[in-house]
Amino acid sequence: MAFNFEPAVIVESIPQLLKGAELTIYLTVGGLFFGFILGALFGLMKLSPSWPVRKIAGFYIETIRGTPMLVQAMFLYFGLPMAFGFRLPAMVAGVIIIAVNSGAYIAEIVRGAVQSINTGQMEAGRSIGLNALQTMRYIIWPQAFRRMLPPLGNQFIISLKDTSLLMIIGVGELLRTGDEIVAVNFRAFEVYLACGLIYLTMTMSIAKVLKIVEKRMKIEGR
Amino acid sequence: MISIRNLHKSFGKVEVLRGVNIEVAQGEVVVIVGPSGSGKSTVLRCINKLEEPTSGTILVDNFDIMDKSTDINMVRTEATMVFQHFNLFPHMTVLENVTLGPMKVRGMGRQDAQKIGRSLLAKVGLADKDSNYPDQLSGGQKQRVAIARALALQPKAILFDEPTSALDPELVGEVLEVMKQLAVEGMTMVVVTHEMGFAQEVADRVLFIDEGVVQVDKPPREFFTNPEHPRLKDFLGRVVC
Ligand SMILES: Nc1ncnc2c1ncn2[C@@H]1O[C@H](COP(=O)(O)OP(=O)(O)OP(=O)(O)O)[C@@H](O)[C@H]1O
Ligand SMILES: [Mg+2]
Repeated sequence: MAFNFEPAVIVESIPQLLKGAELTIYLTVGGLFFGFILGALFGLMKLSPSWPVRKIAGFYIETIRGTPMLVQAMFLYFGLPMAFGFRLPAMVAGVIIIAVNSGAYIAEIVRGAVQSINTGQMEAGRSIGLNALQTMRYIIWPQAFRRMLPPLGNQFIISLKDTSLLMIIGVGELLRTGDEIVAVNFRAFEVYLACGLIYLTMTMSIAKVLKIVEKRMKIEGR
Repeated sequence: MISIRNLHKSFGKVEVLRGVNIEVAQGEVVVIVGPSGSGKSTVLRCINKLEEPTSGTILVDNFDIMDKSTDINMVRTEATMVFQHFNLFPHMTVLENVTLGPMKVRGMGRQDAQKIGRSLLAKVGLADKDSNYPDQLSGGQKQRVAIARALALQPKAILFDEPTSALDPELVGEVLEVMKQLAVEGMTMVVVTHEMGFAQEVADRVLFIDEGVVQVDKPPREFFTNPEHPRLKDFLGRVVC
């Protein structure tokens, strides 16, 4: 039997897919929100003068970066309940996975950006009497943050795509939604194509917004 | 005002300072000269505790900076530093650079800090640059902002580490002019510089540091006209007076 492409299927499935895309956005934004907090925390810990603090941060970063996100998700959602008899709601688990995973990468982004700021800045801050924390807050961090933006934008796009892996724990995000449609109508070609197009639209929009933000930041401060 | 006694500083196995003694009285201008790598910057950085002294005593305004109970952030505002490469905060306007210290360290309100900041910028001849960003300024202007930033803390002393060495020759004068003005007003200053003219004209005492110790400590007239010390003679022979 010959394959015939039916564009109408795409059009029909779009409303449902967009509902899934909405969850995808929630997962991404929620996950990255907490991921940034984790990343900032562990990134700065990696720069701590204290050896144990650095080691703890290093352990987190290495462990997360050294294991597949799919394994992390399945461990959290299926593995941990075996031990604790309690399963998180899938959406919550999804946000945690994105947060913990992106946090490890963001930690490295934060560390690199902070390290890239000239030591003279720290010295100047200290020599006008600011303590180490104030110097970080008023002088190092604002400069480092600007340098973080491009890699953070990149991480945003990566994390958004990574949410598709969460279909495995039953989060009804975009790909899972597509999967469910295919289970009913068997139009895998059209439906997954539609999914891909929606992902592409989202990632390209993020890239566009980031370009604008970066440009504005460049004009405002130097 | 500043009292350095038997200061030693090693980097790893290399002993850079081997018993430095310097006394700086209130209102005095002390110029430090010496060959490259002789430890001039290290002395200043130890006073500011940007380097941890290996041993010895440093008193700033009678506070022992090695004493754990001394509030080092406070001491740093009393003897603040002006750097060779300015180290202005590039993400802040000129005025914000100057007001940050008074606001965050001295706890001054924004209005008061800005008022003081503006008057200090006027004093260093940059009244019209308050809302510019550092990289819109020339090197000489940057260094004058850095001096205003230091003055905003109302310090008891200012440490200058080669403040004109990173400047194009035609911009050196404007910075030295501001520093001379400060000296006239009675600011206590410790200045590491290669500007021998400035030393001759402004310094109360000139110190020659070499091989990790203060080899010569004299008023400028004697220092320059009668350099008995052979290594100083050699050094002065190499720099343009
Ligand atoms: N953080 C550091 N680690 C290791 N060695 C250092 C460090 N800082 C300075 N030194 C060494 O200490 C010596 C003195 O350095 P310092 O910067 O005080 O010299 P200086 O007299 O200021 O020289 P210059 O005229 O070139 O500025 C140099 O040999 C330098 O290489
Ligand atoms: Mg030096």
